[in-house]
This record gives sequence, structure tokens and C-alpha cells, in this order.
Amino acid sequence: MKHIEKGVGLASAPRDFLRDLNADNLSAGLVAGIFGLSAGIIHISAGTAAGLPQEFTLLWVISYLFINGLFGLFLPAYYRLPLPMANSIPGALLFAAIIPIVGLNEALGATLMAGAIALVVGLAGWMRIVMWLIPMPIVMGMVAGVLLKFGTNMVMPLQNAMLPAAVMILSFFFSARYLRRVPPLVVTLVVGVAYMALSGADFSSVEFSFRLPEFIMPAFTLEAFLAYGLPLALILVGMETPAGVGLVKGMGYKEAPANGITALGGFGTMVSAFFNLHSTCIAAPMTGICSGPEAGTHDKRWVAAVIVGIIFVVAAPFYGFVFSLIEAMPSYFIAIIAGLALLRVISSAMHITFSGKHEVGAMFAFLIAVSGVQIFGVGASFWALVLGAGISMLVEFRDFEFSRESKAARAAGEAA
Amino acid sequence: MSLFKDASIPAVTAGFVAVLVSYSGPLAIFFQAAQSAEISTAMMTSWVWAISLGAAVSGIVLSLWLKVPVVTAWSAPGTALLVTLFPGLSLAEAVGAYLTAAAVIFVIGITGSFDRIIRMIPPGIASAMMAGILFQFGVGVFESFASVPALAAGMLLAYLFFKRVTPRYSLVLLLVVGVVLAVVLEGASLEGVSLTLAQPQFIRPEWSWNATLSLAIPLVLVSLTGQFLPGMAIMRSSGYNTPARPIVTVTSLTSFVTAFFGGITTVIAAITAAICTSKEAHEDPDKRYVAGVANGVFYLIGGTFAGTIVLLFTSLPGEFVAVLAGLALIGAITSNVSAFAAHKDHLEASVITFIATASGMSFLGLGSAFWGVVAGALAYQLLHHPWRQASREARREAA
Repeated sequence: MKHIEKGVGLASAPRDFLRDLNADNLSAGLVAGIFGLSAGIIHISAGTAAGLPQEFTLLWVISYLFINGLFGLFLPAYYRLPLPMANSIPGALLFAAIIPIVGLNEALGATLMAGAIALVVGLAGWMRIVMWLIPMPIVMGMVAGVLLKFGTNMVMPLQNAMLPAAVMILSFFFSARYLRRVPPLVVTLVVGVAYMALSGADFSSVEFSFRLPEFIMPAFTLEAFLAYGLPLALILVGMETPAGVGLVKGMGYKEAPANGITALGGFGTMVSAFFNLHSTCIAAPMTGICSGPEAGTHDKRWVAAVIVGIIFVVAAPFYGFVFSLIEAMPSYFIAIIAGLALLRVISSAMHITFSGKHEVGAMFAFLIAVSGVQIFGVGASFWALVLGAGISMLVEFRDFEFSRESKAARAAGEAA
Repeated sequence: MSLFKDASIPAVTAGFVAVLVSYSGPLAIFFQAAQSAEISTAMMTSWVWAISLGAAVSGIVLSLWLKVPVVTAWSAPGTALLVTLFPGLSLAEAVGAYLTAAAVIFVIGITGSFDRIIRMIPPGIASAMMAGILFQFGVGVFESFASVPALAAGMLLAYLFFKRVTPRYSLVLLLVVGVVLAVVLEGASLEGVSLTLAQPQFIRPEWSWNATLSLAIPLVLVSLTGQFLPGMAIMRSSGYNTPARPIVTVTSLTSFVTAFFGGITTVIAAITAAICTSKEAHEDPDKRYVAGVANGVFYLIGGTFAGTIVLLFTSLPGEFVAVLAGLALIGAITSNVSAFAAHKDHLEASVITFIATASGMSFLGLGSAFWGVVAGALAYQLLHHPWRQASREARREAA
């Protein structure tokens, strides 16, 4: 356990939570929570596309919220850092696609092994090597590329829902300028809800339901491990943790517990395997929302991440209800809120990506992540890192910390 | 005549390479615009003829007159702008917008207000709009991985390899490798390619508000900030203290004529200028103007055989053109993105401009480049309140 970073601890967490709670981190946590709830739509559409029964897809999302939410209570509280937990979206797409091929129990067996790999990597302290091979500008290039989609999704509603979209976006900027006391996101939320109420959104299709996660026994096959378990492990270790750690550091935190995040995520993924769920890990877009400037002062942003966990756990059993509610809301609503919450995060991510070394690799990582291209069934964000780092090694090897030039420069610096 | 006395093989070669690079990379974007406009091969030939002739005439005139290597070309970001606007925009309207843009640039040139206007535009907003327009082409390289993985991967590797080994010829060599790959992997046939003389086609212009706002204004902006600004900077960094006024004026006059044949605005070159202004063109800076003249002459030849160039591009798969255009623009995208992302002041307004421009949305019939600038300018005023700052500074100075 010596490689797992030490945190503040859990004993005083509930008291500190109430002490540090404020309008900024509450609104950021709320927005991140709503965002996470709406992410269930990705699971549902991936499941539908893969021809999985709706019954299973609903269970899958309920487990996602419940289990990821539970782990998401502890990680930010222990480290007092904005580290919300969720599941891997590229992993979810892989999982949905592999179930019809290898079977559900077998896919979950591969999930269990992937989790074990991540746990070992975290416990052994190998995240340092991973982060060493994939330098910060390349990680942030990928993150910026993934998040850019949320930015463009924010402006797209201007095309066909011009009035509400313009009103919501403008309310954010005007309150950022003139209402210093109220978080601009809260203003936008209120304006958006008010508009929906006035325009008479149709909520008649909303229905109530209650379900808990269900236990299932994983099975093991080599085929499932190679086709899905190994890529998932690579995604968890090589992409999800670096993205989260990169974001948190990019937002001005000096340290981020890379090994702790990976180990807990690995353990969480192992637990997930018994409940129809494919992974537990740090969630990049939500980390962006919770750790960004909209969440208030640095030392209190962790509260936002805990709020995400609370929202997840509470909402999980009622997801059928939540889902029908999200369905009833106009689609631009969440797109605009998420885009605005991430705007300054996208700005900082781009700033870090393009203000120094590894320029070519970072640019390629950025472009690949935006393109959303799938190669061998694995999503763009993974290839953004692999190809970005590979191209950077090819064209700008001197920028790597372990290159001879970098070492010489460091030695010269120390000598001076 | 002193031109023949000053002529040298390196200078002529530099002019040739600059033309070859233009036809290899930036022309691919123009072809994508033509594809989205769904025009005939004959019309496309006229377009290529017009842009080549515009670059030839203005380049030869300016180089001989000013005795400095002035390399001119068509506005590459302008052609990128076209790709998203067609086919909603008609040809006649596009020509009308070219004429409007030429007139505006002419006024800017003749009044000598180029430097003043450049200073007025927040640099981050200008780069962000450029990056937003060019961005889709870079992403297109990787989107092609889905349909033609081998061709895209092969061209990407070739690009990286040539970029590392011989940066100057990388685009030309990439074109050669790309054509070979397209023939071998995708079964493209070059049998139809033959030498043909270009026949220009006259287009009757039509003026509209829509084309003025979505095309003419962004075209002026990107031409000023994306071509004239870096182009002049390259000339000055090579030691030529040429005034901007004659260059802006002459290119806008040429644009006015070529517009009727489908030629987009002629501007000073940014991508290829350095090839002719650098030491490699000639040891003696006073004799490098020959490279500018040679560049013009080769454009003249290229324009005359525009039909052949068009045949070459149309017999290759569309994905090939997309990958070529994207890779040719990677450098420009990177420099524009880093130009706005590396600076912390007015970063958010720049990112908003970038996002809105890159989104490719259209609203009230106007393109995303226009809305990008509008949103960026609004965010710049709201978030970074330069007015308040200016008045505060004024007060401080008064006190």
C-alpha cells in the first residue's frame, strides 16, 4: 500500500462537508450530477444499438449510478479533491458491443480481470510510468478534444431552438459580468427551467419506477479477455486516470493521487463486475465541471464531487423515472448547461495543450479525439493518446522527459 | 534587361517549388469547395485558371515593380470558408461576395489603413476564427480512417516522415506518395489525365446580404489576418521593408477581375512565401525578386493547363483530397490554435469564437465563421471588458 497517496481522511469528512458547502460548489455538483444522470442515455443508446434487451440496459444504468456513486462519495472525501467517480464511456461502448459476441457473464469476467489489472497497477505505483510515457500536453489535447464536443453541442441548438438557447447562453454571460454573487450556472439553470415552464414542456410521459442493482456471477474466457478485458484495462489505466489527473492538475491543484485513483477504480471495477456494470473510474467531463472555476474556491471544490456521488446513489433506484424525465426535457437544455459549465475547462485544457512542448503530438491527439474515429472497435480518445504519444516520439522526441536532450538540459539547469 | 542578369537557378527553382506546394496542398481545399458546390469540370477548370492567373499577374507585377520577392496566391482560409457555405450559396452570389471583398480590401489598401485595422482586431479572436475554419480539415484526416484506413494511414506516415526528413518538399512528396497509394490501394485510374488548355467561363455576379455577411466579411477578415498579416511578417522578417499599400492594392485589383471567372480573392502568400524570400532562393536579397517573378510565370503555366490539374484531382478519390487538404493545413491549424490558446488574456472569448466557428452551425442563413466573430466579440466585451479597462487607464493617466 506504500504507493497509494495519503489523503486527509474520512473521519472529519461529514463535518467538513457541511462547513465547506457553498452556492458555487453546490451548483457545480448539481450540474455535474445532472450531467452524469443524462450520460445514462449513452448506455441506453449503445445497448439499443447492440440489440441488448431494455430490461438489462436499465439495470446496467442503475448499477452505474449506484456503485459509481458509492465509490464517488469516498474518493473526493478522502483526498479533499474534486474527483467524482463514474464509468468509462469508451468502455461502455466496448462492453455493449462485446456482450452479443461473448455473452454477458463472460464479458463481466473480463471486466473483473481488467479491474484487477488496474488495482495492481495502482498498488504497485506504476502510474508514474504511464504518465511519463504520455506527457501532459498530449493527455490534455485528448481531454480538450473530447470536451470540445460539449462546446459545439452547446452552440448547435442555436440553429433550431434559437430563442431558449440564446436566452440561456446570454444569461450566463450577463450574470458572469454583472451578478457577481450568484454563480452564473444557477442563473442559467433557473432561466432554462423558467423558459420550459412558460413554454409548457410536456411532462405527461414521466412515470415512476423503483429498482436496485442485481447480483450476477461473472464467467471467464480468454476470448472475452483479449477482445474486451485487455482494451478496457488499457483504457482505465492509460486514459481515464491520466485524463482525470491531468484535468485536476490543469485546474491548479499541485498534486493528484494517480495511484490512488487507479487502485480504487480497479477495485470498484472488480465490484462492478458482480452487478452488470463494466467499470468504475474517474469521470473526465464531470471532473472538469467539479474542479473548474465555476465550482468556487479551490479548497472547497471537493464538495461538488461528493454531491455528485450523493445524487447518483439517491437517483439510482429511480432511474426509470429520471430517464423519462430527461426524455421529456428538450434536448438543448442539458447540452447548453453542460457546455457552459465546461467552457472555462475547455479554455484551460487548450491553454495547457498548446503552450509548450509536444506541440505536434498534442495537436494530433486533439484532432483524433474530436474526429471520434473508431479503430478496431476502440474509441477515439484511446487512440488520441496512443497515436499522439507515438507521433510525438517520432517528431519531437527531445521533448520527452527521458530523452537525452531533456536530461542534458536538466543537468545543465541543476549545475547552474 | 536586368531581370535576365539577376536570374539564377536557385531563384527559379524556389519559384517553381512554391507553385508546386500551392498546387499540392492548398488547392486540395479549393477542390473540396468545388465538390460541395457540385460544379462541372469545365467550371472547376475556370476557377483554377482564375486563381492561377490572379496569382501570376499580381506576383509578376509586384515583384518587378518593388524589386522584392512578392509571392501571391489565393486566400486559402477563404477557400476553406467556401466548403461549408456551398451548396446553400449560389455561384453568382459567391462571385458577388468576391467582388465586395475585393472592393473592401482595395479601400483598405489605397487608404493605407491596413496596419491600423490589424491592430483593432483582438489577435486571439482572429486566430481563433482562422483555427475554427481550418479545424474541420484536420479532423477530416482522421474521419477518413473509417472509410479508407490504409490510404489515410499511409499518407499520415508519409507526411510525418517527409516532414522530418525534408520539410520543404514534404507536401510535394506527400502528393506523389498519395497518388501512388490511391492508385494501388483504392484502384484510382489516371488514364483520363491529358494536357488540355483551360477555357475561362464568365459568371454573372449577384449581390446579396446573405453572401455579404457569410462570405464577403469573413473573407476580408481571414484574408487580412490569415494571409496579409503573416505574409507581410514573413517579408519583414526576411529583411524586406516593403510597404503594405501597393501589395494590398494590386492584389485586390487583380481579385476584382479574376472574380468574374470564379477566382477567389488574390492575396499575399503565407504558406509558400518563405520559400521565395529565404536565403535558399538567392544569397543576395536584392536578387530574390526573380523567385517572385518565376513563381508568377509558373502560375501562368499552371493556369494555362488548369484543365489537366483538374483532371488529375477529379480522377482521385474524394478521401484522398480530404486527407491531403487536412495534412497540408496541420501546420496552419497548430500555429493558429497555439496563437490563441497560449495567451491567457481574452482566452475565453477566443475559445468561444473557436467553438462557434468550428461547430459549423448555420443560423438565419449565415455561416458559423460570421457567428464565431459575433459571439467572440460579444464575449470579449462582456468577459474581458476592454471598455472599462480603457476608461480606467484613461482616468489613471489623467490623474
